[in-house]
Amino acid sequence: MSSMDAAKSRISIRLNQQQLELIDRTLKGGLAESREELLHLALKEYAAKREGAARG
Amino acid sequence: MAEMDRKLVEERILQPGTGKALEVRKGQILRIEQASGNQCVDFNCFNLHDYKEFMHCGRTRTVHGFNPTEGDFLWSAPPRENAMLYILKDTVKRNDVLFPRCSAFLYESAYGFDVHTNCHDIQAEAQREYGLTPDDVHDSFNFFMCTEVAMDGRATITRQNTKAGDHVDLLAMMDVLAIPNVCGADVMRTSNFALKPVKISIFEATEEDLAAVPDVPRMKSQRVPSQFRNATIKATRELTADPGYVPEFANTPIVEEEIVIELDAAERALFEDHARRDLYGDDDGAAFRDIFFTWWEERFLNAHSGAPSTASGKAT
Repeated sequence: MSSMDAAKSRISIRLNQQQLELIDRTLKGGLAESREELLHLALKEYAAKREGAARG
Repeated sequence: MAEMDRKLVEERILQPGTGKALEVRKGQILRIEQASGNQCVDFNCFNLHDYKEFMHCGRTRTVHGFNPTEGDFLWSAPPRENAMLYILKDTVKRNDVLFPRCSAFLYESAYGFDVHTNCHDIQAEAQREYGLTPDDVHDSFNFFMCTEVAMDGRATITRQNTKAGDHVDLLAMMDVLAIPNVCGADVMRTSNFALKPVKISIFEATEEDLAAVPDVPRMKSQRVPSQFRNATIKATRELTADPGYVPEFANTPIVEEEIVIELDAAERALFEDHARRDLYGDDDGAAFRDIFFTWWEERFLNAHSGAPSTASGKAT
């Protein structure tokens, strides 16, 4: 659901073992401490890149 | 000048409507040269010691785009995926890996010729010297062929503007059987409506030539026949099921698990701004997965389409 009612909303992401392996290997690079933290980082950087591009 | 120092091994003229299978050893250079200009040259290439490894236009196209040229490699098909030849020099820089070889069917269906010079049959006839069959002819790398992709997605052939002496130098990264043929399309614009001879030379590469080749990554996934579950080449035409066959697909079964993340209001707003609702509707998880892997590709993937990066950084 895309409700924004709650202060915090939860999203369940289904990932297979290969996708999780890629995430875990990415974590070894030191970008984040956990899978969840990496997902948060990805959202922020993804959005920042596009918003930066939109601003020119 | 490195080119002046090269030792000439062999030189010949390919007449219109013909091709020639040539053994080119690792470290030798095959030069395909316009004798008078404006002639397309179709090309097949096999590992000289294992004909089941052959040049793959699809792989080459993925790594280097629709018009591979100087600084690019000609790759073999999966699961080998080896650099077979390196384009050391290309004076024209217009080659094609979009179009298939022309064939007898084309000339009969479009022009009414049931016998006509065509790249498939020329290629097959040249390769026959080495025991290969017409079915072994593979997708053609088309040197000097000018093609374009139109806005409607269709590929089209345009005329070329090459002169006598224009050439491509291909440095062999392994021992290969290289088979150039003089494209037989005289009623098409491929070679400007005329068939002309082509000059072929083989040289020993100089140290300077060899030093110009970028490093090529070596991957565990580049397999050799000894790693195949069925390494024996099938010798019958009929296809029959192996009663002892047990499938061994890698990493199966594919099993998913759920990761739950919590977004604060600001993050939620970011997510809503960028979620691809057009593709995923109300499926937040699928939309977030798309964001994550798109981010990953942008941050970590060095080359498009999973192509191996080369030291030159030229892979596109």
